[in-house]
Amino acid sequence: MILLKLISWQYVRKHLLRSLLTIAGIVLGVAVFVGMHTANQSVLTAFTQTVDRIAGATQLQITAGEAGFEEEVLERVQNVPEVRVAVPVIEAVATPETRSKGNLLILAVDMTGDRSLREYALEDGDDSFIEDPLVFLAQPDSIMITQEFAAENGIKSNDALTLNSMDGPKKFVVRGIMKSSGLTSAFGGNLAIMDVYAAQKVFGRGRRFDRIDLAVQEGLRPEEVGKKLEQILGAGYQVESPSSRGKQFESLSSVYGMLANITSLFALFIGMFIIYNSFAIAVTQRRSEIGILRALGATRGQIQVLFLMESAVGGLIGAGLGAGLGVLIARGMAGSLGNLLGEIYGVAQKAEEVSSDPQLLAGAMVLGLITSLVAAWIPARNAARVDPVQALQKGKFQLLTAGENRTRRGLAFLFLVLVGLSLVYGEGRLIFYAGYFLSIFAGVLMVPTLGLWLAKGLRPLLKAIWPVEGALAADSLIQSPRRTSGAVAALALSVSLIIALGGMTQAAYASIEEWLRIALNPDMYLSPSQNLTDRSFRFPAAFAEEVAKLPGVRRTQFVRTVRLPVDGEPVMFVSLEVASIRKEVRLPVVSGDGDKMYAEAAAGRGVIVSDNFALQHKRKAGEILTVNTPEGPLDMPILGTVVDYSDQKGSILIDRAVYEKYWKDDSVNVVRIYLDEGVTVAQMRDRVAAQMGDRYRYFVFTNEDLRSYILKITDQWFGLTYIQIAVAVLVSILGIVNTLTVSITDRRRELGVLQAVGGLRMQIRGTIWLEALTIGAIGLVLGWVFGAVALYYALETSARDLSGMRLEYSYPFRMALVLIPVILGSSFLSSLGPAETAVRGSLVEALEYE
Amino acid sequence: MIELTGVTKRFDGKKQVTALNTVNLRIDKGEMVSLVGPSGSGKSTLLNLIGGLDKPSTGEIALDGAVLSGLSDDALTKLRRDKIGFIFQFFNLLPTLTCLENVSLPLHLRGWKKAQIEERAHELLTLVGLGKRLEHLPEELSGGERQRVAIARALSVYPPILLADEPTGNLDSATGVEILGLIRDLHERLQTTVLIVTHDKNVAESCARQIALKDGVVVQDRRV
Repeated sequence: MILLKLISWQYVRKHLLRSLLTIAGIVLGVAVFVGMHTANQSVLTAFTQTVDRIAGATQLQITAGEAGFEEEVLERVQNVPEVRVAVPVIEAVATPETRSKGNLLILAVDMTGDRSLREYALEDGDDSFIEDPLVFLAQPDSIMITQEFAAENGIKSNDALTLNSMDGPKKFVVRGIMKSSGLTSAFGGNLAIMDVYAAQKVFGRGRRFDRIDLAVQEGLRPEEVGKKLEQILGAGYQVESPSSRGKQFESLSSVYGMLANITSLFALFIGMFIIYNSFAIAVTQRRSEIGILRALGATRGQIQVLFLMESAVGGLIGAGLGAGLGVLIARGMAGSLGNLLGEIYGVAQKAEEVSSDPQLLAGAMVLGLITSLVAAWIPARNAARVDPVQALQKGKFQLLTAGENRTRRGLAFLFLVLVGLSLVYGEGRLIFYAGYFLSIFAGVLMVPTLGLWLAKGLRPLLKAIWPVEGALAADSLIQSPRRTSGAVAALALSVSLIIALGGMTQAAYASIEEWLRIALNPDMYLSPSQNLTDRSFRFPAAFAEEVAKLPGVRRTQFVRTVRLPVDGEPVMFVSLEVASIRKEVRLPVVSGDGDKMYAEAAAGRGVIVSDNFALQHKRKAGEILTVNTPEGPLDMPILGTVVDYSDQKGSILIDRAVYEKYWKDDSVNVVRIYLDEGVTVAQMRDRVAAQMGDRYRYFVFTNEDLRSYILKITDQWFGLTYIQIAVAVLVSILGIVNTLTVSITDRRRELGVLQAVGGLRMQIRGTIWLEALTIGAIGLVLGWVFGAVALYYALETSARDLSGMRLEYSYPFRMALVLIPVILGSSFLSSLGPAETAVRGSLVEALEYE
Repeated sequence: MIELTGVTKRFDGKKQVTALNTVNLRIDKGEMVSLVGPSGSGKSTLLNLIGGLDKPSTGEIALDGAVLSGLSDDALTKLRRDKIGFIFQFFNLLPTLTCLENVSLPLHLRGWKKAQIEERAHELLTLVGLGKRLEHLPEELSGGERQRVAIARALSVYPPILLADEPTGNLDSATGVEILGLIRDLHERLQTTVLIVTHDKNVAESCARQIALKDGVVVQDRRV
């Protein structure tokens, strides 16, 4: 400990900037980890809080996926003696037409029984109609809102609130303002209560409920009652505690969680190189200090522990700062992330508060500490091996020995062989990822050798253009691979990440656009919601049938999308008229016979699954898929797999007739419309308006609208991955600043000589700038090469474990070119500070510098 | 002509140190002068001030009438380029550059054309007797040879003033004599003003004028 104070602290004080830059890598890595996870956690917490607050005293909830069920199910549940109270619920999000900020989560209940589960305390104390639910029920336009929503929107009791219902705009009267309580804080306070039977009309539910909330008789265990209910109702119904809805949402958004993990681990991995580089430099620069300590009796172990302690302290400080920064990042992004996840998965929540999990923060601290210790391990071991006699002599300590280079190259070769083997025999996840990591290690080990070759190759060119500045900049790199290789490795890894992500994004866009062209080819769409992923509202079948009869409509297809559990996970079922779809859409077939599979599916003899479903759920064509329906288990053969990007977690195409038969649900989410030749979308819009008038709520989307909506969501999703790019570039730029800061210290005398023999300040700056640009150029070239490999692995990872999207390998040449100005520009910017330091110092001291 | 008027140099630290105290000095064109004195007497400081590597705390230094304290950093560098050549005790050659490149360095910095640079560098290295070691790196040369390269570099534009800080201090005595002979020869042939800081009595006595410093003050100024 005393050595830490006497030796390390003095060194840190003397090299404060460099020490700060060193821990900056950890700060950023941990900040991204904490930020992305905390934001995600906040969204999940907001969702589960909403669920919990709305649940009240509910012990069990009965659902049939998102499909809902008929009213008679309620009676069956209420007749079970173990059930104390069971009430129907419809839960949906609506946008009020007047005087409102934000969406309203509508909880529609049956007030006669619901007060046993939830408390509705009113602001003005006038609970009369709550005391007598019949008063509330007798007036079907009744609605209750929260004190918070009322205050924010200036709404008073008996004011009107218009909701755009399935039957057109419908005026409700605010007949109660609820006092602040657990319930009213659900969905950020934007909550309204209405009668469930009124909601059936508002949201187009027909005579169906979304779910049943229930409490069991006193003294009974809810789990046991739940099992009994499952037996009575059949496997098509899920009987779960309210908290399990949170788990379902977590499962839906798991792709985002994985993305957050990859981003932060990558940032930490690059940060590790910065720390490694800094410690490797510190060990070489402090050789004489180590020599003196060893001469004075310090053991090798004490030296190693000293350096590890330094890294531990740095790691903890970096992780602490990173955790704080991460919480700030989460505060900034939780709201927009919530909206994005809401749009992608169609799940309502309102993330306003950031909930930082102490376990996550502790985990981040441990992660920062471990990263720092791992990074400093090799330099600390090298420090312990320093020979005291040699250490006290001056020498070329920045050079790597031939032996070191041979060992690195040997290991790299061995790793490459193993990578090759993993590719040939790498079906298993473990072998595949081992190969992935070994390929990264092989690249990193080759960096000093490849970097040296490139620097030597660039020297003649640099010298030809800038005889002094260019030659010296290249020489600085050639002479000090130990100093520069860490920064070059970090930069090369960042560039490779960008290439991999860029390539993946390019391929994903190309595939999605191709899918949009093939699958979404109707001229226009009608949807009951403004947001196409929101399934709160549904058209009754009668609406769709009326549209089909309009003159000028060549063909309509009624689509009902609904998430239902498969293998315990919610999966998107797309029910439509398969025969009609086949006439217009030819989704690329991955496995199975195209014509045959559609014919069989149209006849209700099986389902067609998307390729990403097949990959994620490890299912193949020919296998039997058992789906639990309200009518009992339904065994459907998988007739084939097709490319379909309807949902990130995969989709199952099922004929509408089969869906209607087993789920007793003829409602429609979207009507796809193909127009007769010569009929325009505008004309059809008018015809629909004339026919429907105010009888229905609907929104018209043109083909172009839908495409741009999907591309907008895709953009937002990939926007998250661009955070990775920004962090990676930032961390590697820190590495360059760090390396240059050391470089100008090492080259102080050389730079002094340059000035003494007539070098102008601009020329001195020039050599530092060129050194940075050369590091940038080498990192860029190596990153391009590493990126080609990283892209392969990124596409495989995406197909295997992320979205299940099988994307074509296509090297992003345009992005590689765009990186030239980005990386060289960033490298140049990172050299401005060090270059100024280089020209500001005392010339006399520089010439005397040892 | 080099002219110092009331030049004082103080170094601020925990305790202020006066390295030079009100030095007045005039060195005419073509003189060969030695600066002697014990360690800490201020001789290297004086040389650095004359070379424009450092600035006096008070007083004025003028080279051929140009007052250094009034010049910007870049103007000072340009003046140093044209008028001054430096020879250091530890040679200060750039280890990664060949002899030819080291000598070419100041000419490149002046923006000379490549052919001119090569011609001049050849000429200078031949002048110092290293015409056949053009492509050697400094580490492949002996101490004396390295100092010859350093001298060739200092002479790159045949500056009127040559400043040498212990030019033989890092050499054995025979090589020291050889280097001193070379400097004297160049001084005579090129009429260069030479200022040599030295501890070596023989070197000091080989100069026509000897200036002795003690505690930052000129205590002796004699012509031999």
